[in-house]
Amino acid sequence: MDKIELRSILIFMSKRLLSSFVLIAGLSACTPESNGEKKIIRKESPFPSTYQAVKAESFVIEHATVLTGTGKQLDDASVLVENGKIKVVGNNIYVPPETKRFDASGKWVTPGIIDVHSHLGVYSSPGIESTQDGNEMTAPVTAEVWAEHSVWTQDPGMQLALAGGVTTFQVLPGSGNLIGGRGVTLKNVFARSVQAMKFPDAPHSLKMACGENPKRFYGSKGRSPSTRMGNVAGYRAAWIEAEAYRETWDKYYESLGSKKEKDKPKKDLNLETLAEVLRGNILVHNHCYRAEEMLVMIDIAKEFNYKISAFHHAVEAYKVADVLAKENICSAMWADWWGFKHEAFDQVRENAAMVENAKACAIIHSDSAIGIQHLNQEAAKAMAAGNKNGLSLEPKTVISWITSNAAKAIGIDDKTGSLEENKMADIVVWSHNPFSIYARAEKVFIDGALMYDRNDRSKQPVSDFDLGITDPQGERL
Amino acid sequence: MKIFFRVVVSLSVFTTSLSVIAEDFLIKNATIHTASKQGVLSSTDIYVSDGFIMQVAKNISLKSKHTLIDATGKHITPGLINASTQLGLVEIGAAASTVDYSTKNEQQGASFNIAPALNFRSTLIPQNRINGLTRAIVRPAGGTSIFHGQGSAITLLSERQGAVSEQVAQYASYGIAGANISGGSRASAYSVLDKALDEANYLRHNRNQYKPGFVWNFSQSLQDLDALKAVLEKKIPLVISVHRSDDIMQMIALAKKHSIRLIIAGASEAWMVANQIARAKVPVIMDPILNLPDSFESLSIRLDAAAILNDAGVKLAFTGVDWQSTHNAYLVRQSAGNAVAYGMPAEDAIKAITINTAEIFGIKNYGQISVGMETDIVVWDGDPLELTTNADVVLIKGNNQPLVSRATRLRDRYWDLKDIQNKAFTR
Repeated sequence: MDKIELRSILIFMSKRLLSSFVLIAGLSACTPESNGEKKIIRKESPFPSTYQAVKAESFVIEHATVLTGTGKQLDDASVLVENGKIKVVGNNIYVPPETKRFDASGKWVTPGIIDVHSHLGVYSSPGIESTQDGNEMTAPVTAEVWAEHSVWTQDPGMQLALAGGVTTFQVLPGSGNLIGGRGVTLKNVFARSVQAMKFPDAPHSLKMACGENPKRFYGSKGRSPSTRMGNVAGYRAAWIEAEAYRETWDKYYESLGSKKEKDKPKKDLNLETLAEVLRGNILVHNHCYRAEEMLVMIDIAKEFNYKISAFHHAVEAYKVADVLAKENICSAMWADWWGFKHEAFDQVRENAAMVENAKACAIIHSDSAIGIQHLNQEAAKAMAAGNKNGLSLEPKTVISWITSNAAKAIGIDDKTGSLEENKMADIVVWSHNPFSIYARAEKVFIDGALMYDRNDRSKQPVSDFDLGITDPQGERL
Repeated sequence: MKIFFRVVVSLSVFTTSLSVIAEDFLIKNATIHTASKQGVLSSTDIYVSDGFIMQVAKNISLKSKHTLIDATGKHITPGLINASTQLGLVEIGAAASTVDYSTKNEQQGASFNIAPALNFRSTLIPQNRINGLTRAIVRPAGGTSIFHGQGSAITLLSERQGAVSEQVAQYASYGIAGANISGGSRASAYSVLDKALDEANYLRHNRNQYKPGFVWNFSQSLQDLDALKAVLEKKIPLVISVHRSDDIMQMIALAKKHSIRLIIAGASEAWMVANQIARAKVPVIMDPILNLPDSFESLSIRLDAAAILNDAGVKLAFTGVDWQSTHNAYLVRQSAGNAVAYGMPAEDAIKAITINTAEIFGIKNYGQISVGMETDIVVWDGDPLELTTNADVVLIKGNNQPLVSRATRLRDRYWDLKDIQNKAFTR
């Protein structure tokens, strides 16, 4: 019996063999009982996370204005952190003696900022020929590639993002393909390997792309897709193959332990990724600007029974915000970028505010190694535009656009994205209201460890690249 | 003769009602960021007549007919300017048919003048105007020559009349971009620039020898060399995009050799040679939000570069934000705000998005709130550098600009999603 992927079989079992298997939580190899005869050996996904939080002592941040990420603002409040986790958030909380205290009078505290759309590490700085690792534009469907295998952990953009309060980011493949491959969610920590940055137990994502990019690139090569209808045919053809592949494997799993055990099918990396989407284990992140294309993509998702987690860029989300709310699909948006392509021509500054107002899930994303450093500023602009037109959006709500809503879209909202008991202590202490232009992240904690301190140079990480690059005895900054 | 115009009355700040023909404005009780030696004036009034600022003082009272704008609790700056845009030269970046900022015509390097191509009906003009940008420098992008051609200064009006100052600067690139176009080395780029300036200088003193039919052998076309005459006569600056600190020093030396007015643009590592730039009295155009070492010529780029350069006495003009400096040219305000967040005094940053740019490009009567200036005035609903602040009133050349753009029309159409079938009739 060969090793198979745990997540796959857990989902498979949950649907097909419910009562006869004991579902095992956790990701280590295990041998649950089957119908009594054969044992199934399971192994976690390859390239597992080896992330380990930096050990840190307990501490409390006191007298801060706290935006919890759950829709609350607490004034003169405390955040107590123990063992890398949020213990208590509130006013007049009990703080055990010996706890290290940070006085945050006049300062604001938020969850760590999360960017759902980054290419850090795959389009690294400096941008030269050798760092163009984000887009496998050799075929319109390349679900077999994984962004994590391109990540250069020494991209100096990561430390800059950390100084902007970013504790977690999702690295996606580019948008040149209909289906560009798997994205990965990383903790923004220094590491020698991408595995040591991988957010523990975060699901993979699948990058899909609507519109102009795939059709322009492949059309210019004289091959499909060269039109938007070609794009749609391409997605559907891929999902049809994926369905058949999944069924083959499901039948194989079903036969295990029976007298008619089937031969093990051959693995196909491309279809394996797509099948994992159909099993619900990989979240779909779909680059899609236009309203009508979003609604077509929703119908494709229904046709093949998968879920779209978020539309990225979503310039026209405001036109279909009611549908996005009903379908429970997040919109990851820029505050105001527009005009670089025809499909980005109908941007309005109120886009995110209108999505929020429709009670749909709004996210501000960056897609930029500059923008990721200022997601608070981008959210501020989007909030202000909505308020100028009559809404009353407040920081306590809008902070979700760059924290808890982002966590939800990438499937880690049970672990981070808000300041709640037992969540990871991913925390930013800001010099001002984070929606002020003057706000700077002063302290950034990841899993309770102080990973960046603006006022302590010894607590400002530098990448390998930065060392001695401009001055043999100094660092880049 | 005074300019007559129709006042748009949708703004509650107007105390007059319904449409009136007004000639003069009295703006009351504002916090005024003058972008001048006057600094910030609190609770001050501005009297505007005939498109010009007539008086800036406390407690102005007028007997003549005027439109009153109550700016209590609000801030005023000059209308903003972005020092490096392609406004009027592009509608959709990826749609080549809408793009006029560069040419593949090999006859046109320094002589490429973008002014005839400017489109004042572009949707970008109102979108930037309603957000407080009233002026822009419009520059060509690189074509087939190391010289990009001549830029214009524009006013963000929706008609061309009186809105263009042509040929305010010549543009070129050095560093990686200059090297790429010159054969692959900075050394070649230096030689091409140096030679062209030598030849242009020779030609302007011997121009009468070069008549049609005369056989000539210059490195650039005759019209391109002729176009450099204005640079050599110091009538216009040469704006060179350059990043690496050593490259910046080379360009300062080149400018000194040819006795031309240099402006450094991009300028990622300018802060490292801030004192030398200040001594050479070379202005710098930069986007202060940029801090990514995105090439090997920008390794030392940093967020406090504007503050360092400003402290050294370098005259700064800002562009930005990031690569959206044309479609969202008004976000130069965000770039300026970041310069302040990282150490630059606020009023200096406001100068870098108003008067400094006017001065280095020779734009007269614009850039400060002071008597005699044209009325490029923005009334902001808060601190003009805050991102949560919006423009309440935009006056350009004495006209109150409706705060409407194609984007606000789309917003209004979809503001509520009821009765979707009838959206086609929602204007």
